[in-house]
Amino acid sequence: MRQFKAILRKDIVMELRTKEMVTSMGIYAMLTLVIYQVALSQSGAAFDPRRIAAGLLWLAFVFTSMLGLNRSFVHEKDQGCLEALLLSPVDRPVIFLAKAIGNLLFLVIVEIIMIPFFSFLFLQQGSYQGEFWMIPLSLLGGSIGIAGVGTMLATMSVNTKGKDFVLAVLFIPLMYPLLLACVSATTAGVLGGDGHIQQFWTGMAAIGAYDAIMIAAAWALYEFILGA
Amino acid sequence: MADKKVLGLSKDSWIYTFLGLGFVLTTLDFLMAFLVSPLVLGAKVSGVRVIGGAIVQNQLLFSQKIFYFHVPVALGSFLVFFFTAFYGVRFLMTKDKIYDTKAKIATEVTLLFVVLTLITGDLWTRFEWGQWWVWEPRLTTYFIMTLLVIAYFVLRNSIEDEERRATYASVFGIVAFLDAPISFAITRMIPSSVHPVVLRSGGGLLPTQLIPFLLGLFGMLMIAWVIYQVRLKEEMLRERVEAVKAALEDDSPTDAPTFTSFAKPETPGQS
Repeated sequence: MRQFKAILRKDIVMELRTKEMVTSMGIYAMLTLVIYQVALSQSGAAFDPRRIAAGLLWLAFVFTSMLGLNRSFVHEKDQGCLEALLLSPVDRPVIFLAKAIGNLLFLVIVEIIMIPFFSFLFLQQGSYQGEFWMIPLSLLGGSIGIAGVGTMLATMSVNTKGKDFVLAVLFIPLMYPLLLACVSATTAGVLGGDGHIQQFWTGMAAIGAYDAIMIAAAWALYEFILGA
Repeated sequence: MADKKVLGLSKDSWIYTFLGLGFVLTTLDFLMAFLVSPLVLGAKVSGVRVIGGAIVQNQLLFSQKIFYFHVPVALGSFLVFFFTAFYGVRFLMTKDKIYDTKAKIATEVTLLFVVLTLITGDLWTRFEWGQWWVWEPRLTTYFIMTLLVIAYFVLRNSIEDEERRATYASVFGIVAFLDAPISFAITRMIPSSVHPVVLRSGGGLLPTQLIPFLLGLFGMLMIAWVIYQVRLKEEMLRERVEAVKAALEDDSPTDAPTFTSFAKPETPGQS
């Protein structure tokens, strides 16, 4: 537990000093929103952006999280921190857990900044019909999966030739089932309507199953990745 | 003959036997599918029509014949993909390089089967649904599996260090295989607007349908095994050539453990 706290504190202190991850992820996410405006600019007044709001949000989160995940490990590698961590008598699963929680934290911060902006920019017209508590819950469930699997994949991809490219190629197909469930659950929260409670909980069940299976696998396999 | 034992491969005769058998079984599947198996009732025809000299209300689906090739290939792809994960686990347990080579070759065979499945499936899709591609759950999840198999090779090609490549590829192979059933199950849980039935034969299959299907399944699995063995042989010979080359470039051959381990046992007269 002390080891876990120490690694997590290191990441947070570094972030507080440089403010690099959250700024770069935040700005990247904002730019994604600007591009959405271009993509939706010809959709006409009759088009209701709420129908695709959850999909757009998750799209932005996926690309933003890839940027952040890559950064969080490029630092570790460039400054030799990962090697130092491996030399110190820390359990490998603890390293995984601390790094994953750190990545989750930064991802959640970016999401908290982004959601008001998103609704401010795209969801002005029309009254809100969904149930709000569903949105943060589904976002948190999805973010846990992204941080867990992403931490494992980023540790691999940072040691390859084409760092970000390899991360994207590994990350997106592996994330696909999670994203499908997340978009379904978040849409239930945004739109409401008939059967949205059931849609939300089936989505959440799928998210939970994915998180449990994939994070257990990542947890078990992380030792081998660090050892190589 | 001693070389084969050193390489740890099955004998050539087995490869030829299975190649022949697989070829015969797959051909039988092909012939039976067209000559023996009855046509399957398909979607309702609007009104009553005369097809093939008989008045029918249901259209008989000739396109259903793809079932005898598409489904065995698809099942085969899942089965072979399992070996990627299996050898991945074996590699991580033993750190023996041979398991990494086996996992790589199993994934190569998977890629071949996956591409064949997509092609045969697409023929059906175009004919029956009128479109080349539909984002239907099963198509989507299978497409994702294809991407995972391709990603496996992208990962391999971007790592220089041999041990690291083997470890990362094993880890990714295991996780990718875990993801395949997840993405298969998840689409059944998420409501979807387009959800056509792929297999139209509702009840059990008739023997005349089941037999060619099973023949095709076993025939294709045998061919997969043959491809796997031949590739494994090739890969191991290639590694041996590399080891010999490295040993020849070296000034003192005794320092090359990879060479001596692959070499034939020395006779007592030499030292």
